[in-house]
Amino acid sequence: MRVASASAAIVLLLLAAGVGFRFHAAGQLDARFWEFFAWPTTWSFLGRGLLGTLTSAAMAAVIALTLGLVLLAGRLTRLRLVRWPSIATIEFLRGTPTLLLIYVCFLVLPPAGIKLSTYWMLTLPVSLSTAAVVAEVYRAGVLAVPRGQAAAARSLGLTEVQVFFLVVFPQAVRYIVPALVAQLVIVVKDTTFGYVVTYGELMENAKVLIANYHALVPVYLVVAVLYCLVNYAISSASRRLGRPMH
Amino acid sequence: MGEVSRLLVDYGPAFGQALFLTWKLTVMSFVAGVLLGMAVTVLRLLPVPPLRFVLTGYVEIFRNIPGVVLLIFIVFALPDLDVVIDYEPSVILTLSLVCSAFTADYLRTGINTIPGGQIEAALSLGMRPMRIISAVVLPQAWRAVVQPMTSLLIALMLSTSLASQVPFPGRELTALVSKVATDSAAGMPAFAVAAALYVATGLLIAWAGATLERKVRILR
Repeated sequence: MRVASASAAIVLLLLAAGVGFRFHAAGQLDARFWEFFAWPTTWSFLGRGLLGTLTSAAMAAVIALTLGLVLLAGRLTRLRLVRWPSIATIEFLRGTPTLLLIYVCFLVLPPAGIKLSTYWMLTLPVSLSTAAVVAEVYRAGVLAVPRGQAAAARSLGLTEVQVFFLVVFPQAVRYIVPALVAQLVIVVKDTTFGYVVTYGELMENAKVLIANYHALVPVYLVVAVLYCLVNYAISSASRRLGRPMH
Repeated sequence: MGEVSRLLVDYGPAFGQALFLTWKLTVMSFVAGVLLGMAVTVLRLLPVPPLRFVLTGYVEIFRNIPGVVLLIFIVFALPDLDVVIDYEPSVILTLSLVCSAFTADYLRTGINTIPGGQIEAALSLGMRPMRIISAVVLPQAWRAVVQPMTSLLIALMLSTSLASQVPFPGRELTALVSKVATDSAAGMPAFAVAAALYVATGLLIAWAGATLERKVRILR
């Protein structure tokens, strides 16, 4: 097995060397493609982009968590007039690509007289499609709470609203915290579409840097690493939160 | 309704082609992604630490990178490294890399549901490690992951909208809507039709997945 490990390591190192050589042969290791990463202005610009990404993602997450609860309540109610439209809304928002919703806010709404800022053109579609997914995650949590809990609460004389908000939902949330945090990764990924509406998030700022320095490979590599780090941090947090539940 | 029928007269065939392209991109990247993901899963089972380390990195990178960042890197940055891939293969490559990382992740969870005694039993029957993986481990792991794989297929289908971000000769649904909205005032009905087609495709996949799940699931 040691032989296998050693040969695998050699093959992988050769592969890495091949990639490195490709960079060198294409002239991508030239100082002019990398030197601007030594300037603080570059990092403060990328940092502002990352901040734009995170403000949009945070707002979208807050809206999605709230609206998801509304959609869940609509979906669980016994009134058909409320339940069916709620189901239709959830299926519609969940089944449509976020990018398509962004295009609607960007291309279709302005001619119809509805003008949103670039921040909302990005944040609103991301919030809506996340809200529908969150509603389904909530529902999975609610269904996982043992039925006896609701029955016991009812027999104590609690109203339906009290049963839901004081007994069922708090327990449901504990089941689904890891899934909710994992959903945050998707929110961060979706905000990448900010450059479509020219909202100043990480990807948009990367495009500006590229226009200035003509350094496609280095800038996109650095941006990809930044996204991976942010999302990896969120995923790790969700795994840590997930552990004590099982 | 009148607007939708007028739109379908003007753009009906274009919507048919767009839907077909969306399906084609979905199927091709799913097949490639699943095969690649299975290869990664099997290689990760081998007791070769450097390989495991690199493949874990591979899974984490492609699980966490936003699809559009990967696509734009492949389409616009790779040519600077003298690697030129055409637009359609680039989209399929992007989606299959992302799909393979999630497949590898789910499949490993599926493998963890298999009781260790089965591996010991197979070993004591004198089966070789590769035979154990292909005849005992993988078939059961696949049966355990039908549900997450269905969700993955739906997510992948929705992600084909990324193709609208590169100058593709053919148009899939999202690119078509953006073109209709730019060219005419029919943006809203175009959006409604495209959304209906996406939702219908998603529901179809979900139904097929649920049917398959009922057939193959293993009750432990």
